[in-house]
Amino acid sequence: MFDNTVVVSTPPHVKSKRTTRGIMLDVVISLAPCAIMGIVFFGWRALMLELVTVFTCVATEFVYFFLQNKGFSNKCAHAGEVCKRWLKQFDVSSVVTGLILALILPSAVHWYEAVIGGIFAIAVVKMLFGGTGKNLVNPAAAARVFMFLSFSATMIKYGLPAIDAISADSGTLATGATNLSVLLGKNPSTKLSALDLFLGTGVAGCIGETSKAAILLGFIYLVARKVIKWWQPLFFIAVFGFVAVLTSGFAYDTYTFDIELFLPHILSGGVLFGAVFMFTDYVTSPKCVWAQLLFLGVSAILVAVMRYLTTLEVTSFIILLMNLFVPLIDKYVMPRPFGYKKEKKVKEEN
Amino acid sequence: MKAVKGKYYFGGVHPHDEKKLSQTAALEVLPVPETVAISLSQSLGKPAVPVVEVGAEVKEGELIAKADGAISSNVFASICGTVTEIKTLQGMNGNDETHIFIKANGKNDKSELPPLSEPSADEIKERIKDAGIVGLGGAGFPTAVKVSPKTPVDTLIVNGAECEPYLTCDHRLMCEKTDEIARGARYIAKALGVTKILIGIEANKPDCIAAFENYDDIQPVILKKQYPMGGEKQLIYVTTGRKVGIGKLPADVGTIVQNVATCYAVCEAVELGKPLYERALTVSGRAVQNPKNLWVKVGTPIQAIVDFCGGNAELTKKAVAGGPMTGVALGGFDSYTHKTTSGILLMTEKEAAADEPTPCLNCGKCADVCPMHLMPMNTAFYSAAGDMEAAAKYGNTAACIECGACEYVCPAKRPLIQAIRKTKAYLRNRK
Repeated sequence: MFDNTVVVSTPPHVKSKRTTRGIMLDVVISLAPCAIMGIVFFGWRALMLELVTVFTCVATEFVYFFLQNKGFSNKCAHAGEVCKRWLKQFDVSSVVTGLILALILPSAVHWYEAVIGGIFAIAVVKMLFGGTGKNLVNPAAAARVFMFLSFSATMIKYGLPAIDAISADSGTLATGATNLSVLLGKNPSTKLSALDLFLGTGVAGCIGETSKAAILLGFIYLVARKVIKWWQPLFFIAVFGFVAVLTSGFAYDTYTFDIELFLPHILSGGVLFGAVFMFTDYVTSPKCVWAQLLFLGVSAILVAVMRYLTTLEVTSFIILLMNLFVPLIDKYVMPRPFGYKKEKKVKEEN
Repeated sequence: MKAVKGKYYFGGVHPHDEKKLSQTAALEVLPVPETVAISLSQSLGKPAVPVVEVGAEVKEGELIAKADGAISSNVFASICGTVTEIKTLQGMNGNDETHIFIKANGKNDKSELPPLSEPSADEIKERIKDAGIVGLGGAGFPTAVKVSPKTPVDTLIVNGAECEPYLTCDHRLMCEKTDEIARGARYIAKALGVTKILIGIEANKPDCIAAFENYDDIQPVILKKQYPMGGEKQLIYVTTGRKVGIGKLPADVGTIVQNVATCYAVCEAVELGKPLYERALTVSGRAVQNPKNLWVKVGTPIQAIVDFCGGNAELTKKAVAGGPMTGVALGGFDSYTHKTTSGILLMTEKEAAADEPTPCLNCGKCADVCPMHLMPMNTAFYSAAGDMEAAAKYGNTAACIECGACEYVCPAKRPLIQAIRKTKAYLRNRK
């Protein structure tokens, strides 16, 4: 009657077309505007770094998977078989990690530094903890922090956009103070206009973080494809902006709540990029709505306060820190089941 | 009464409903099969006890097995013929069930209960019990128990949501037997002593909503197209705004929910004296040549139904009894229909999702769509690790209604319902 290809399983027997690979591809597409604007602003160096990190991440994942599955004795699987298995389970998440890592690096980073960062992100942060879905912290953020501590000489050289760099002597990269350091400094007079910050023209910074317009495009795409919830980045940005304006009153010794600083604050540095692409990462953010609100709110306050205290860009550090709290948040913040009523506590008499 | 709009609840999914395959096919009668095998486990609770011997001549509608205890239901012969065998074999959901085999003798004699006119509440309750009526929505809870609630109720909700994809038998029933369903609902309301009757119908069935607007005592409620709208707790919330607590019954908030098919069966049992031995079901799926809605006798071999509708076994990747979200996957066509079988679906490889699971991403989509606001990913994670206590605690598994929305939406195709059932089985055995 039936040949043995019929499938018997628990319900449901229909499933959505959405797959992990599809979601990761959506994220890659949403990162494309940032990557392209990075190349426009920072030239071929940006493209080189993007290619190097993506290649390194995918290659590291492959090598790790190969060694894990192939083994070293004769009994183990055939090499071609392992490659096929790898292709079958390949879910594009390492491409996402590589691309995000490139976009949060300054363009002055050397290619071998990027390679080391990529290997660290995949081998140490992701695969050692069990691969996709098991990593405790965001691989790209962890790699950036690792590189920041290891190669601090190049990691603080924020390239100026190529249009300006042309005028500088060719060969060496023009670098400048980021708008953030100006903003957080005592003298806010030299800051750029909000429109410049939004488009990224003339702004020094990391490859993918300078053009907020490109980030906005990616955000709209992710929301349209229902990969992230629309309120996640908006909530983060709102809380962050409010606290940042509050703290800048202390920073400039004016002690006023100057709402005009809201736009410069949210448009400077890597906050917007982090809010859209990194704080919303599935694996390293909490699972239910209330836990996500708590996670985003606390992260936003921490980023704003730590920026004020250190006058440095601290987003990736805060991402790492808060990622470590996610299992704890998940344990204690759970949704109430439909129709749940709080039980009246009965006092136990000992 | 003019239809009103129902509420909205958080959660739920919107699967491709594929109802267009069969929703225009009018109900037709499946020819009487040569043999039927009627399972004695037709409802929740204990199996019925046979009252016929092998070799006995039975008429259509004759009692062949009596209910054993309160939560059990009478079973009736669905064709006229000879009892050839009483034996235990694997039912469609994998449990061993005792079946009574009846071979048709070509006659069409019927044995029915006396029709009731102007029945009292107690007479209706007695008739529902005698006619072996069970909830035809899928759970198969004996209706006689449901119409005798322990707490007073004020509202009868008729479930015409039919939120399962593919299934259209309730839709056809509501279109073609509107009057009978309305009368059946009134009988149930009379038995319960309530006057308020609501009927919840999903917005994708405007013809049914319009049909039920013609009755003065029945209030149609238009429900948003959202799965699982027909879940008992969800339906009560969207139609009346009352929330049924965890581990509580609908009667605790003053409501009783009955499926439209059950109302129809009650109407027939009261007015014609016809016990429940026949039901409407949908035969659909892309591997079926002519998707149909059929009147099928209880105990009909699935093979006969598949052959009648031109089912293609070659193309079939998954055969399902019931709806695609909660139904049972069949290992073959060699089992027999139940009172609760609402559909036979033959799905092609393209329709049936049989992908290999990939690692969980913690995306939380399962928690977002859960109509009960649970955490299925925790249940899956801990039960896979063998820590069933934690699985039940962090997933709130005891409150799960097993609608399957979580697994439908999961991008990693994790077997969440399997994990939930495993955890629930553990909880049952622990007590």
